[in-house]
Amino acid sequence: MIEFRSVSYAFEDVPVLDELSLSIGDGEFVVLAGANGSGKTTLLRHCNGLLSPDEGTVLVDERPVEDDLVAARSSIGMVFQHPRDQFVAATIDADVAFGPENLGLERAEIDRRVDAALEAVNMTGRGDERIDSLSGGEQARVAIAGALAMKPTHLVLDEPFTGLDEPARRSVLSRLESLSARGTGVLLATHDLRDVLALADRVVAMRDGRVVLDDAPDRALEELGGLEVRVP
Amino acid sequence: MLSYEPDDTVVHRLDPRSKLAFQIGFAAAALAHATPRALIALTGLCAVVLAAARVPIRETLYAYRLAVAVLAFVPLVAAVTFGPPWIDVDDGIVSARASYRVFLILLVSAAYVRSTPVRHSRAAIQRTVPGKPGQILGVGVALVFRFFPVLQADLRTIREAMAARLGDERGPVERASTIAILGLTRTFERADRLALALQARCFAWNPTMPPLTFSRSDVPVLGLSGALVLAAFL
Amino acid sequence: MDTHRESVEVVDDAVVRSFARAALLAALIGAAAPVSIPLPFSPVPITLQVLFVFLAGLVLGPVWGPISILLYITAGAAGLPIFAEMRGGIGVLVGHTGGYLWGYLIAAGLIGLLVHRGTDLRDPAEEPLPVVVVALVAGTIVIYGLGAGYMAWLLELDAWEAFLAGVAPFIPGELLKMAAAIAIVKSGRIAPIQS
Repeated sequence: MIEFRSVSYAFEDVPVLDELSLSIGDGEFVVLAGANGSGKTTLLRHCNGLLSPDEGTVLVDERPVEDDLVAARSSIGMVFQHPRDQFVAATIDADVAFGPENLGLERAEIDRRVDAALEAVNMTGRGDERIDSLSGGEQARVAIAGALAMKPTHLVLDEPFTGLDEPARRSVLSRLESLSARGTGVLLATHDLRDVLALADRVVAMRDGRVVLDDAPDRALEELGGLEVRVP
Repeated sequence: MLSYEPDDTVVHRLDPRSKLAFQIGFAAAALAHATPRALIALTGLCAVVLAAARVPIRETLYAYRLAVAVLAFVPLVAAVTFGPPWIDVDDGIVSARASYRVFLILLVSAAYVRSTPVRHSRAAIQRTVPGKPGQILGVGVALVFRFFPVLQADLRTIREAMAARLGDERGPVERASTIAILGLTRTFERADRLALALQARCFAWNPTMPPLTFSRSDVPVLGLSGALVLAAFL
Repeated sequence: MDTHRESVEVVDDAVVRSFARAALLAALIGAAAPVSIPLPFSPVPITLQVLFVFLAGLVLGPVWGPISILLYITAGAAGLPIFAEMRGGIGVLVGHTGGYLWGYLIAAGLIGLLVHRGTDLRDPAEEPLPVVVVALVAGTIVIYGLGAGYMAWLLELDAWEAFLAGVAPFIPGELLKMAAAIAIVKSGRIAPIQS
């Protein structure tokens, strides 16, 4: 459960989030839509304490994020734009192990988690491969595996399709679909809603740091036109 | 170019810490003694190491070609004297022996490079250097290996773009500073994104250590390394 | 799970950012190794690397600048081919050019100390020009002093021979690199992390 309670945040005196409130339940698949500059990225970075609100509170599992950063960061698996800049190791398995190693887990448990995470993104048995030799879509999937190895309750993704071609985009989407089906919550920020709405339980749209729409996808569709998002 | 090559030699199976200790011992002994007898013994030891790690000699000499050329050239510089007799052969021979031992040290480290993947080096660092410095060095080295090809490609792109815009006609200072500014800006953008990803994945001072264990075959190597270090003080 | 979480000691935000920049600058110093002009009658080629060593001190300061160089040296020792002429391995550190590498480490620290005068980073673009020039000249003297000095000791050369082989050929190139480093920091396009 991720909960924003009237959160305000300003960057260099320009308000980015404006008394924003939002709640995302466990297992929900939520699409966060909005034009560039509407505050999506800033919102996401509050979920795990990469940014802290000027006013208001963000709670993960009913606990303020800053009270226990480790808990928030292992409950919220985060995947950013540019997967290429998120990897810490040259090979897949060493990179996916990075998160659980930081949690100080036993080596056997780390190995189990790496295997499970790679299986979840459809890359079983490819742990020895070099990350630089992978395609963009495969790199995005490894980045997701790196987040999953922390056993998060929610996966939070910021524009994960940037720079991906169509097959790669579909392969990432189908992984998100199966993760969601297994009970992981997904919060997906994107300005490109093709094929995404069919997977979503809810669509939340932002403008000028506020939530301007929060509805089921079929009802949200007709209202989205005026929000400068790409509609199927 | 010399780099790690997966294989199943004795040297590949050694603990990286033994291999590091051996290199230190070898270098110490070679730097302390440049007598003909010591150089013959070290040459024999070097040959054994290269054979055991299956280091391809020709490729390696090619990789070190500039160093080899320099080490061959330096004794000539040393031999030349100002004033009669103009050439001091003894001076040249002393320098030639000194150069040759450097060549041996380079070859032995080639065996380490050939036989040791970065995860082993990282594990050796984190298990040898305690606390925060060990974590900074270990994770830092992994990051340098990871981002080296990425930044190489960045620099290539920058230089190609400059050449395409007739950048070659500009003066050297302007060219150097343009490449450096663009390279550094792009590198720091990547670093700032990486920093976020590290934080999101709970980058910690006290993670689970990478797995690494000594085996029986490490014992003689460690013994020999100790003997070499001792020999350096004799 | 909770038992583990209690003991996790998370790295501070400002440290993570400085660390990421130091590690990637180390990789950039390595990536700049092939951007070099080998000299036929001298042991050391001119490379853009020294320019980035200057920048490590100027932009990352007296703590993270040297850490960046240390990461560069360690990765090279571990076998990444990032030293001049694309060589790697511990041998290079004690080899004939090893002194220059250790000189980089000290020079980055010295330049950082002279320009920032403490661990709170200043913007080098706003520092008076003479301060930057003195720092760069001092750093260069350290690099070449250690580089040529070690070479002389290792290869049994006398001081004059070492100067001819290891310093003199690079003086014009070094002056150009200092000019480039000053142009870069004065452009104000690279801002240090100020906490």
